Amino acid sequence: MIKLPTIHIGRLSLLLSILVWLALLFVDLVRLFGVINNLNSGIVPEFTWVLEILFFLTVYSFYNYNLQKNAQNEFLNLLWRAASTGIFASAAFLVIQIFYEFLGDSKLGQEPFLRNFFYHVHFALISIFLVSTTLLWKKLILYQKTKQVVQQWKTYEIGLLIAMFFVFFSQDTFGYSFIFGFVILTVLGGFLSVNLKWIPYLTFKEKWKSLLFLAIIIVCSVYLFLQTNAYSSAQQTYPINLLDNLFLISLYVFILIYALFSFLVTLFNLPTSSVFEQKLTEAINFQRLSQSIQPDEDEEKVLDILMDSCMSASFADGAWLEMYQTDRNQTIIQTRWIEEKEKEELSQLIESNSVAQNWAKESKADLLNPLALKISHPKFGSLLLVPLVINKSVIGRMVLCKELKDGFNKEMVSIIETFARQASISVENHRLLNQAIQNERYQEELKIAQRVQKALLPNNLEHNQSFEICAYSNAADEVGGDYYDTFQLDQHRYALIIGDVSGKGTSAAFHMAQMKGVFQSLIQLNLSPKEFLIRSNAALSRCLERNHFITASIFIIDTLNHQVCHARAGHVPTLFYRSGNQNAEYLGIGGLGLGILRNMQYEKHVEEKEFTYHSGDILVLFTDGIVEAKNQKSQQFGFERIRALVEINHHLSPKEIQTKLIDTLHDFVGGDGLIDDDYSLLVVKFN
Amino acid sequence: MLSIETQQENQHYILQPKGEIDASNSVQLDESIRSLAEKGAKSILVDGSAIDYISSAGLGVFMSYLEDFQEQGITLKIFSLSPRVLEVFQILGLDQLIPIFPEKEAALNA
Repeated sequence: MIKLPTIHIGRLSLLLSILVWLALLFVDLVRLFGVINNLNSGIVPEFTWVLEILFFLTVYSFYNYNLQKNAQNEFLNLLWRAASTGIFASAAFLVIQIFYEFLGDSKLGQEPFLRNFFYHVHFALISIFLVSTTLLWKKLILYQKTKQVVQQWKTYEIGLLIAMFFVFFSQDTFGYSFIFGFVILTVLGGFLSVNLKWIPYLTFKEKWKSLLFLAIIIVCSVYLFLQTNAYSSAQQTYPINLLDNLFLISLYVFILIYALFSFLVTLFNLPTSSVFEQKLTEAINFQRLSQSIQPDEDEEKVLDILMDSCMSASFADGAWLEMYQTDRNQTIIQTRWIEEKEKEELSQLIESNSVAQNWAKESKADLLNPLALKISHPKFGSLLLVPLVINKSVIGRMVLCKELKDGFNKEMVSIIETFARQASISVENHRLLNQAIQNERYQEELKIAQRVQKALLPNNLEHNQSFEICAYSNAADEVGGDYYDTFQLDQHRYALIIGDVSGKGTSAAFHMAQMKGVFQSLIQLNLSPKEFLIRSNAALSRCLERNHFITASIFIIDTLNHQVCHARAGHVPTLFYRSGNQNAEYLGIGGLGLGILRNMQYEKHVEEKEFTYHSGDILVLFTDGIVEAKNQKSQQFGFERIRALVEINHHLSPKEIQTKLIDTLHDFVGGDGLIDDDYSLLVVKFN
Repeated sequence: MLSIETQQENQHYILQPKGEIDASNSVQLDESIRSLAEKGAKSILVDGSAIDYISSAGLGVFMSYLEDFQEQGITLKIFSLSPRVLEVFQILGLDQLIPIFPEKEAALNA
């Protein structure tokens, strides 16, 4: 399959237009030859007209493509293209004229073929100028287009297309029908020419430039129009009239009208362009202020933009900005165009001004508006106090100073107020963001603490074949104050410990770590349970805060003699299930929490008891988090539920009993009910 | 929620906490007791009839005054605790250190 080369519309139409123009030239020269030699060349004028229309269309297509390709044409650039084409066409024509002046009445000067050639060159240049400028105007007219304008433009284009063919119907230039068509197209063009929305967007400098370019375009088109008329009056030399064409003349008029309109509107827009520019700057400043600051950046950047924006919006001669720190010591962050001494003087003037003082006392900070003040100062005549309000409290103020009296009008104040509010929001967002990041960091730290604390609880629970054991612990917060551990004292003896620090959270977690340290050290001494608790109390009393205490239970299991010796330091009683009578009950034994009595008196309050265990007996150690867990009706889980559950499930393994207890606890608390305390569970079953 | 009312009866100051005493509001209880001690109260009675629940943080408050009060000769008594709350005191062993009475009369006469 043959692959067709991609058609390049721009080049194709350029090539076509050149070919058409050459054909047109050839045809007309042949016709001229016929006229001069009184021969009938047999070429009907329609042939020329068709070529002429084809030329218009190809030029149109070329420029249309060319303009679309360079999509982001600036207005000035567009105007310059039109102006330069105009200059080129005019210059070319001028050169031709000078050439003829030079030749004078010489034979060459009278040569009809050469004249005709230049006539065609002129025609081509004018067509190019008119068509390209029309297309440039189209771009300008359709800037910020509405549907209506697009519709109007399409109508106009159709009108122009019809105008090209007008010559087929009537060769009577300036006849009634010609005038009729001309008037319609002119009116349409006039309507379109009021679309000048691009002009306000030019800066002051650009407006001056565009005035220059428009003037060039006007001069060129007038010049070219006059020259065209000169041709028309010297008709006899040219066998066919190319220039008195409704299409071309309408374009002339349209280009002139639009250029004139643009020129005048630009001229009258000059004085107000500074206002427009000012508003545009304000909008840009506002946008800069509203862009939130990056977390690693400083608030000062926003305050910097705020100062600059407000100063340019109010034409202030000086300004400073104060931010109040939490300790109310003012720290000046920025000063602009103002001496330290002047600032001091002005501050004192503000201090002594009763209106300003009342203003500063306003209790509802979010209702505070900027305040304009008249002052008597050698340099400055008026001040504007602008509050910076975050979260309903004033965090600072900006003072703008002007040498003029009454220098701040309502518009300035309102835009400055907006700036200040926006800047405050940005600063607030920045602070909140930093806070959020900080919180995130704390969360991370807590996660680490959680991991470290988990490691404080044993991985493996020491035991032998005489008993099975399992444990579970859960903290209400990231870290908690519950603790359990097992130790092998000798070949047949094991110690179990469960402990609970008063309170929860981080402080409890630290005390729990201390408790572990104390327990781990004391257990090495192979003490009796009672002695162990007495020593623990003495050790912990030195390190616990005054209003904190620890409760604990210790069990020493002798697997050789099937004996359990235990003591309790204020801890919730341990449940003991006896397989003999299939009955579970709490071990009643006196005891006092660790750290409550911090002297030798403690000894009197701790007991020690011993009992024998049998196969199938179960010990359930837990912390008060389980007993005190509440359901939606504010009922506590309580001791009785635990007892009943163990009795029912005594035949299960310790792990299964533990799972039953935890599941029942969760069901009791309810779906999304949280247990507000740390809770732990240790289940031992004797074999 | 915790609210604490204080009233004086002869030389006794009677403190009535109402609601639940936990970590979030135990400071309130602490302040009430301290202000009474600073006022020079020699006998402080806590009416426990309206305490719905007391956490270990609440117990910590009572505990923290034991030694100080002993030195200063201030007596602290608790009465009319609900069985559930009394149980908490008993488990910890605080009932061995703080006199707890079934009702106000007994506390006043003791």
